[in-house]
Amino acid sequence: MDSSNLPIGTKASHERELQLDMDVLVGYILQTGVLLSMALVGAGLFWTWLRTGRTALDYQINRMNLFDFVMHEARLVAHGMFGPRLLVNLGITCLMLTPFVRVGASVVYFAGVLKNWKYTLFTSIVLIVLTYSLFLR
Amino acid sequence: MISFELLLGVAIVAGFVGAMSGMGGGIILIPALTLVGIDIKHAIAVSILSIIATSSGSASAYARDHITNLKVGMFLEMFTIIGALVGASITIASSTRPLYIAFGAVLLGSWAALLFAGHASWHASTQDGFTRWLELEGSYPDQALGETISYKARRAYYGAPAMFGAGLIAGLLGIGAGAVKVLIHDLIMGLPPKVSTTTSNLIIGVTALAGTSAYLAAGLIDPGLAAPVVLGVVLGAFLGTRLLVKLTNKAVRRFFLVVLLVLAVEMIIRGLRG
Repeated sequence: MDSSNLPIGTKASHERELQLDMDVLVGYILQTGVLLSMALVGAGLFWTWLRTGRTALDYQINRMNLFDFVMHEARLVAHGMFGPRLLVNLGITCLMLTPFVRVGASVVYFAGVLKNWKYTLFTSIVLIVLTYSLFLR
Repeated sequence: MISFELLLGVAIVAGFVGAMSGMGGGIILIPALTLVGIDIKHAIAVSILSIIATSSGSASAYARDHITNLKVGMFLEMFTIIGALVGASITIASSTRPLYIAFGAVLLGSWAALLFAGHASWHASTQDGFTRWLELEGSYPDQALGETISYKARRAYYGAPAMFGAGLIAGLLGIGAGAVKVLIHDLIMGLPPKVSTTTSNLIIGVTALAGTSAYLAAGLIDPGLAAPVVLGVVLGAFLGTRLLVKLTNKAVRRFFLVVLLVLAVEMIIRGLRG
């Protein structure tokens, strides 16, 4: 049944409206994440340039998953070692967390607002697989 | 050490060409990075990271315009992310020569797809029980037609395993594999073209994240390389979508056909020579 043809005020049309709100929520999460991460990476590179007169960041990270990576950055912040590399790393972390947060928000939305258990299950599976992949070694 | 300016320049061009042609950044970025001396595995890893940014950037606008079908996206993501993890694991374990050949083959495939590109007309289809159970249907506002188009997807039971394959290619080669996803949406599941491309964009971001995590864990993501490349690709893609030259222009299309063929042959030769 096509819910968009139903008169306003029915349960189906209310559901349709909630789903439209979800589109907007997902859109904003993605946009904010990408803009924030690009700003962080850009600022980190600019800072490197100001400090050293060049923009090259010649370093590699050893085998670590996103969780190790975040913990490593948190330790740097805790020791007051706030430098351009940290900004670049935060930017990369923020970028990787963007789709993750989008999926997490979808689980909450399907469960809490739409009360659609089928899709709560599907998005939870996606979230679990992604969480597992972020903890890979 | 390859200069920052060169990396940024290569990334801007790759992002620009990728967005303009609708092929995505990776397919140009990876061969270009290997040409300036980056190892192919590092090129694949940084490419899939940059795809999170480009796909999420465009997916955000389409989602807010209510064109993307979130349910179709989220159902199919279950299959693409597993494919991407498998694909990335294969690349991490593989030697570099087969990767060059596989990439060359995908470039040839894209070349052929572009050469024979036709626009299949979409018409509403009847839905099967399984796809109805999955609630894979919807409607979207078509601005060109000035009306709301309603549609029902079908054959999700074929679409799902096919999407595992699309995810595998994405994870294996560090590309979005958007063309494969769009084909699955169009031909198997009968989605209208606009819904198909925009939903594919949404799926690509999450799929790329799964691939990126595997490459990060393998130590293949180098922030010194990632910073200029990701920034450049996003900037290039932004400019590319603003110009909107798209493939309707015959000269542009011919240019891409030549570029793809040259890159394909070059990658295959390098793979064979070792």
